[in-house]
Amino acid sequence: MTAAGQPIRVVVVDDHAIFRSGLKADLAPDIHVLAEAATVEEAIAAVAAHTPDVVLLDVHLPGGRGQGGREVISGCAGMLGQVKFLALSVSDAAEDVVSVIRAGARGYVTKSISGTEISDAVRRVAGGDAVFSPRLAGFVLDAFGTAEVAVEDELDKLSARELEVMRLIARGYSYKEVAKALFISIKTVETHVSAVLRKLQLSSRHELTRWAADRRLL
Amino acid sequence: MSAKMYRSTDRVVAGVCAGLAEHLGLRVGTVRAIMAGSCFLFGAGVVFYAWLWILVPLAGDDAASGAPQLADDGGPRLRLFRPAPPAEPAPAELGAGGPAQPRGDRARPGFSVGAREILVGGALVVAAVLLFSARAGVNLNLGTIIPLGVIAAGAVLAWMQLDATRRVGLLNAAKMDTPWSVARFVAGLILVVAGVLIIVTGSGSWALVWASVVASVAVLAGVGLVLAPWALKFWRDLQAERAGRIRETQRAEIAAHLHDSVLQTLALIQKRADSPQDVSRLARAQERELRSWIYQDAGQDTGRLVAGIKAVCAEVEDLHGLPVELVTVGDAELGEPMRALVQATREAVLNGVRHGGTPVSVYVEAAPSGVDVFVKDRGPGFDPGAVPPDRLGVRESVVGRMQRNGGSAEIISSPDGTEVRLHLPGGPAQAAAATGTARNTDAEEAK
Repeated sequence: MTAAGQPIRVVVVDDHAIFRSGLKADLAPDIHVLAEAATVEEAIAAVAAHTPDVVLLDVHLPGGRGQGGREVISGCAGMLGQVKFLALSVSDAAEDVVSVIRAGARGYVTKSISGTEISDAVRRVAGGDAVFSPRLAGFVLDAFGTAEVAVEDELDKLSARELEVMRLIARGYSYKEVAKALFISIKTVETHVSAVLRKLQLSSRHELTRWAADRRLL
Repeated sequence: MSAKMYRSTDRVVAGVCAGLAEHLGLRVGTVRAIMAGSCFLFGAGVVFYAWLWILVPLAGDDAASGAPQLADDGGPRLRLFRPAPPAEPAPAELGAGGPAQPRGDRARPGFSVGAREILVGGALVVAAVLLFSARAGVNLNLGTIIPLGVIAAGAVLAWMQLDATRRVGLLNAAKMDTPWSVARFVAGLILVVAGVLIIVTGSGSWALVWASVVASVAVLAGVGLVLAPWALKFWRDLQAERAGRIRETQRAEIAAHLHDSVLQTLALIQKRADSPQDVSRLARAQERELRSWIYQDAGQDTGRLVAGIKAVCAEVEDLHGLPVELVTVGDAELGEPMRALVQATREAVLNGVRHGGTPVSVYVEAAPSGVDVFVKDRGPGFDPGAVPPDRLGVRESVVGRMQRNGGSAEIISSPDGTEVRLHLPGGPAQAAAATGTARNTDAEEAK
């Protein structure tokens, strides 16, 4: 975690050099790119060597056992406390997004995102919060169901407030707009999103399993 | 003595005896004599011979490596068969039988010209021998000869089929499925059974027939048991071959698709490089097309709500070159009021792109209790109340359309952007059941 004012140190992992350089140019000046990597092995080595605050991680990567970003995260499992992963993908397939989140990524954004937005996302992830794109929020709603149901494990359902936050994010609201619409602070929105992320990562909920199986995630 | 048995290529008929001799470490002459002698034990030798012919691979014909040898080339095989004993006494018949076959049959897999000629020639030789002996005064028992002929024909039909399937089937996996091959096999089987029954009933009592039927069923069961692993292996080979073929086809299809779509678009983009708007429109349309092709899932059925919304979003994207971000949760049948909802969504998205001038987010949530659609842009916003009455756009095509179809529409505009909210209740029964339950979707709309 970085104190305010200190630059955020990141490692960019993507197999396309053009995309890496474009992303580096787009990032805000307070975000320092320490290293780049193009394959699973390079990524794991770079993360181990630099211990960055945030890893911008492409979901589809060559190398390793062919599991791409997921494999990088599991390869750095011991550092998940210090290093945060932000998944970055052109893919909008549920299996890619959800599997990388369940592996431990703190957020997911699409590659079409603007430079300001991605810088915001990096800062947010570095600060320990989660970053949900509208599509990821849609997947969460799809997986957990949109209605409130009584289940035993708190991990297995979203609270009414979390549902509202997810819905607004799916509708294209920024965190600030969500906060305004629900009359809560941005910090509270972030807390809700982090709680949803935790549930998404830890829940073994029956519906989530079935949902994942339907989409061949398991 | 060799560990694994192969049919010898140095052969008289099919190389079975030579292969067996090599396998058992006996002399070829001895094996041939035993084989020939056992033919008189109710044809056991013939059956055993044919059995080995089918089951034992030709030397050097191990699995796939032998495939080229299996090519349906009648020539060499005919040459190898020529010294066969039955061909000797009646060269005239063989000569007559051979060329009579239309050469076009060569193309038909399964029956090689060589085997066919041998068959026809053999049959003619047998007929000649029978006729000759009848002339010479030998008393022919037709009651025995005809059933024997039937059995032989059936066996040949069935086993030719099997042998052919095995040879050519590996080359052409689809072969086994043709009704023709199945029909041939069944016909052969029926002929054999009929022949056996004729022989048995012609020479004994019903009790004997019954006993024979039981015995033959037992034998068939035993044979089936022995055959099972081989049949299984054969089936697996076929499956593997078919899977490979499917993979190949898929690869070709992918290549063709990429060529038709992506390469064409890339060429177009290079041509229009000076017009950023055209480039981004082309890229976006190609991206959408490629995505829907890669991630085609159940949600892609036409006639479903999500597919309909996707289509209108794509249409607007193409029209205006601005991205429309679509997120959907759930899906529904595209009934009559749903079509109106899709049309209203289209108008709302168009409105957002036109007046907002920014990317538009569309969120669709379909539940049994109803469908909600949210269309949000980040334009400067406008006051819905201040829209002049002559501007029918939003009022008529969105709000009016939703109301006429039993739904509702709401337009919330602020300097940060505009959001159109459409709601359509589910079917009558579902709607009635759903009205009482908490719909927390609308929680934030109550603000």
